[in-house]
Amino acid sequence: MADEFPFEISPMFEGERVRKDDMYVELAGPKSKGFELVNAVGLDEIEDGKFTLIGPELSEMEEGGRYPLAMIYRIAGELVEPDLEAIVERRNHDFQNYFQGVMHLNQRYDVWLRINKDAIAKGLNSFEQIAKASMMLFKNELTFIEKIEATYITDLAKVEEELAKAMERYSARDDRTRNLHDEDVEEFYGCSLCQSFAPTSVCVISPDRIALCGAINWFDGRAAAKVDPEGPQFAIEKGECLDELSGEYSGVNEVAQKLSGGEYNRIKIHSFFEYPHTSCGCFEVVGFFLPEVDGIGWVDRDFTGNAPNGLAFSTMAGQTGGGKQVMGFLGVGINYFRSPKFIQSDGGWDRVVWMPKHLKDKVLEDIPKDIVDKVATEEDVQDIDSLKKFLTDKGHPIVERWTTEEEEPTEDESVTETGAVSMPQVGMPAFDPAMLQNLPPMTGGGGGVKVILKNAKVTIDKIILSNKE
Amino acid sequence: MSIKKGRFTIENLENVQINIGSVVSSGKAEEKEIPKGLTPAPEIHELRDWDLKLLDRYEAAYSPVCDMCCYCTYGKCDLTGNKEGACGINMEAHQAREAMLRTLTGAAAHSGHGRHLLNNLIERFGADYPIDVGPSDIKAPLTQTIMGIKPETIGDFVPVLDYVEEQLTQLLATTHMGQEGSAIDFESKALHAGMVDHLGMEVSDIIQISCLDMPKSQEDAPLADVGMGIIDSTKPVLLCIGHNVAAVTYIMDYMEEHDLFDKIELVGLCCTAHDMTRVNDKAKIVGSVSKQLKYIRSGIPDLIIVDEQCVRADMMRETSKLHIPVIATNDKIMYGLPDRTKDDIDDIIRDLSSGDQPGALLFDYEKVGELAPKLVMKMAPIRKEKGITALPDDDEFKKLASSCTMCGACVIGCPQGLDIDKAMEAAAGGDLTLFEELHDKCVGCGRCEFDCPKSIPILNVIEKAAQKVIREEKGKVRTGRGQVGDPEIREEGVNLVLGTTPGIVAIVGCPNYPDGSRDIYDIAEEMLKRSYIVVTSGCSAMDIGMYKDDDGKTLYERYGGRFLKGNLLNTGSCVSNAHISATTIKVAAIFARRDINGNFEEIADYVMNRIGAVGLAWGAYSQKALSIGTGCNRLGIPVVLGPHGPKYRRAYLGKPYDKDKWNLFDARNGSVVNVEPAPEHMLISAETKAEVLPMLAKLCFRPGDNNLGRMIKLTHYIELSEKYLGALPDDWHVYVRSEADLPLAKREELLKKLEEEHGWKIDWDKKKILEGPARKVDVSFQPTNVLRLCKGASE
Repeated sequence: MADEFPFEISPMFEGERVRKDDMYVELAGPKSKGFELVNAVGLDEIEDGKFTLIGPELSEMEEGGRYPLAMIYRIAGELVEPDLEAIVERRNHDFQNYFQGVMHLNQRYDVWLRINKDAIAKGLNSFEQIAKASMMLFKNELTFIEKIEATYITDLAKVEEELAKAMERYSARDDRTRNLHDEDVEEFYGCSLCQSFAPTSVCVISPDRIALCGAINWFDGRAAAKVDPEGPQFAIEKGECLDELSGEYSGVNEVAQKLSGGEYNRIKIHSFFEYPHTSCGCFEVVGFFLPEVDGIGWVDRDFTGNAPNGLAFSTMAGQTGGGKQVMGFLGVGINYFRSPKFIQSDGGWDRVVWMPKHLKDKVLEDIPKDIVDKVATEEDVQDIDSLKKFLTDKGHPIVERWTTEEEEPTEDESVTETGAVSMPQVGMPAFDPAMLQNLPPMTGGGGGVKVILKNAKVTIDKIILSNKE
Repeated sequence: MSIKKGRFTIENLENVQINIGSVVSSGKAEEKEIPKGLTPAPEIHELRDWDLKLLDRYEAAYSPVCDMCCYCTYGKCDLTGNKEGACGINMEAHQAREAMLRTLTGAAAHSGHGRHLLNNLIERFGADYPIDVGPSDIKAPLTQTIMGIKPETIGDFVPVLDYVEEQLTQLLATTHMGQEGSAIDFESKALHAGMVDHLGMEVSDIIQISCLDMPKSQEDAPLADVGMGIIDSTKPVLLCIGHNVAAVTYIMDYMEEHDLFDKIELVGLCCTAHDMTRVNDKAKIVGSVSKQLKYIRSGIPDLIIVDEQCVRADMMRETSKLHIPVIATNDKIMYGLPDRTKDDIDDIIRDLSSGDQPGALLFDYEKVGELAPKLVMKMAPIRKEKGITALPDDDEFKKLASSCTMCGACVIGCPQGLDIDKAMEAAAGGDLTLFEELHDKCVGCGRCEFDCPKSIPILNVIEKAAQKVIREEKGKVRTGRGQVGDPEIREEGVNLVLGTTPGIVAIVGCPNYPDGSRDIYDIAEEMLKRSYIVVTSGCSAMDIGMYKDDDGKTLYERYGGRFLKGNLLNTGSCVSNAHISATTIKVAAIFARRDINGNFEEIADYVMNRIGAVGLAWGAYSQKALSIGTGCNRLGIPVVLGPHGPKYRRAYLGKPYDKDKWNLFDARNGSVVNVEPAPEHMLISAETKAEVLPMLAKLCFRPGDNNLGRMIKLTHYIELSEKYLGALPDDWHVYVRSEADLPLAKREELLKKLEEEHGWKIDWDKKKILEGPARKVDVSFQPTNVLRLCKGASE
């Protein structure tokens, strides 16, 4: 219980900083060694609540000193599995920051802790207090943990020895994350958290598709579903794979229909144009179709200027969202750019023609080498014309799509006949023309359009004559 | 391709028949946007159904400050003891009418300000001048929601203010005797006035942001100096007081053109000061309205420009004694002064500097712009030479303090009941500490002086005694940033949706604080530390910036200015309050993609059931504060007032014990769900800082909270109650729907209490609640109070 600890535990201490002058002791950090690790083990391998300290105790440490620290937690439970380790481990940072007088920075082998003098004065004198409080929070929040045991190490030699083992574990985990794809799992996860704000939103989270808020990946979804299977994150049985390229699964479609209250019944999770994923309001980046070049641009919240189509993020984001499938726009999380299945249904990176410089820089390493210089930014182009020129000059693969069309209608020659609206459909995949109604005017006005009226009847209620000014 | 506005060439016509109805001649062809929505530009009765829903749950509770009615010559009528007046009105209806009238007065003040500004800006910039509020698609959320139109230019706001003015006239008419007789309908009318007020405020602020190039949704708007101690009184001091920056902008332009910012100290009081710094960050802020009389009495200002609202009525008596000329620039305040608009600037300067005339009316702002800097530079040497101040010297001070007979009349007269007598006694003995403490708690009204049988100029004594403190009154305030931009809403949306932002607390309004300005700094800091988003404006925004931490930093320097958890945002002046309520509309528009156009009821319903926002007007004194609060209420945002709140005569209180009042529909199927009382009240007063902090946390609960959100909200509610009131709140368990709602660090302890004290059934192996909560959590629950919004249901 909370009262058994000599410090207060509250989210209000999350932002608390321990500065050098207030610091009693510094643990791990850039000038020392340390790490934190969570290992999943068998139920009979550990004793719940047990704490072991290897090395000097907090009370034996000198004021102002710097010491190594390793924090190893072993967790067990019927639902506990190695895939959950990273999720549990990340919470150590949050929990320890809840402790008044304790500052925890970074994760894994970069951890860095400071304990302030006030906390020591109030009776914090052993690592056991910190470990027990952390274990209590772990068990309270992540209820699949049935048993937890902690070993803290402050002995340098031992820390170094264990660190080597931990590094292997981290690297194995990273391999697993990198190599885990949609086809390797039986379950995706759904997240309906947004439904409290955006009623028909259904987020489908797969190994190759992070939630579009950027906050929940497949592992997070898995952990949350284990804590509370009826909670806002839940397993979606993939079911039959209906189309691998666009990522359409029967299980996903069923859930989509159910959770959207019948608003829609198909979702292709790696598709931009056809039955795209719904967009709630908190997507990090919005993708937008640029019909003039048949390509897709992406713009994020931090970009305050206008995209080549003359529109700002907020304007296009305004067209998206609300938990609806919106043709021509797609909200995504930044990490989705790192997915090997990134809009693969529509050509993946070969379809990307523009993104803001800072966003491009953020995901630079994940852009295929042969396309990276061909994606324009605001530093290269300002409008559609300069974008076209840029793409042509750089030999962007999209240019090939233009030339494969039999003829490339130019805007000047597009003709409107008796209400039938035509569109420069340059190699565009078949899609619902209704999406066009949703597209905002791309270049403003109807500049240079020729209109021929046939069999027309014009009724004018009133003509107002005024002097020219 | 959809054909939009533009130029088309018709190449050929075949078999075309053209019928022309009529041909008329006109000055200008007009193109009017057709309002959209269910209730565009609603008349009083059109949103009445929504009001009745609100008032059924949040019943009006009256506190008659005066139990007489003296509206007509039948009276005055005593309404106590269930008596009715000569016209038949009863106490309840009359109190509702009084509260409505005050709301209306506040609304008129803002929209009158807006109309004046709009006329001025259209004249200067043209009606076609485009609106620019920053990187937002939803540029005028309140206008869209209430009017059903999407304005693009400042001229588009003309019909909006026409609507506001029409509604205000209709509402004012109902206060005439022999009109409305029902309390509940007066309340509905008050809510209407409050809503209309927010519309008027939005117009006022959007047009000035657009035309005067104020910060546009700018999180890092510059910091401005604030405080009586920041003013360089060796320079000529030009003081602007009020709320309407129109005239002052001409002064600033003139000063820029003539490089006068180094030579003249341009300072402002009240909201004009906020807006001055938004136009030009070289301007400085003296402080809130409570500094007004004190600062004038100091004798430091060499010239005062007044515009409108919250300007003292005794201005001319005070300034003429101190030879401070006053230029009045707005119809609303004219002080009986001669209109010198058409006169030559040099003549006016001559008459004012000589003291022949104490002030002048000047409605030509070009002239104000030129005259003010010239006059202040002329006045400063004259006044400095004479050393004019109302403050006593040391000897006089001693004499005055010693002449106090400790009768206590001033203490009774003081709105805060400050112990002036004790401070006088201590000061007579040479101890100034009591006055130094009292200085901040004093709201500078001067009422004590009228009560003193010895005619001690008490305010002067307080100010003299507090000179040391006043010199140290140096703070910083982030200049008003205007709206919250759409991209910020999207970014913060993750936190709002996940529930990691516990709520939005708007600390706004006037400085009639019960116990000094420090309280709101403390409240803001406490909530910021807890990751609430703190939004502020007006006088509160100034006072929050007056205190510093050990490193000498104000809250504005310690916390970011983005609409993000744990950030502090100053939207700007009084009229910038519109952006706070508008933010909730943006959430509905952006997250739920609700059609906001002319759709007030649906949006208010969304806000009330989902968005954990609460307003705090801790020192509310003006009618405007009441109208702002009432407008928030109609939009489903609860508001807390300080202990002076009951003087507005009416609160909207929920009855948490009456279960039937807390039934909602689930919009998925129209089924009725009984929910926890959230938000518990709509308009309520708190007595102390200790009481208000947990109350703010509680009023952020919403039926739509998910587990994580409720857990975090409940954590803060419980912690604040324990920290400030020394006990668990008695109703914490009411807000628990499952074990996942329980604060993480106290889960086991609280489960035990639920079992022992409330008889809930707990599965201790799984630490799960088996039985007890009123309802289960369902994250897909779509709470609504409006049956027509439910699937397959019609009201």
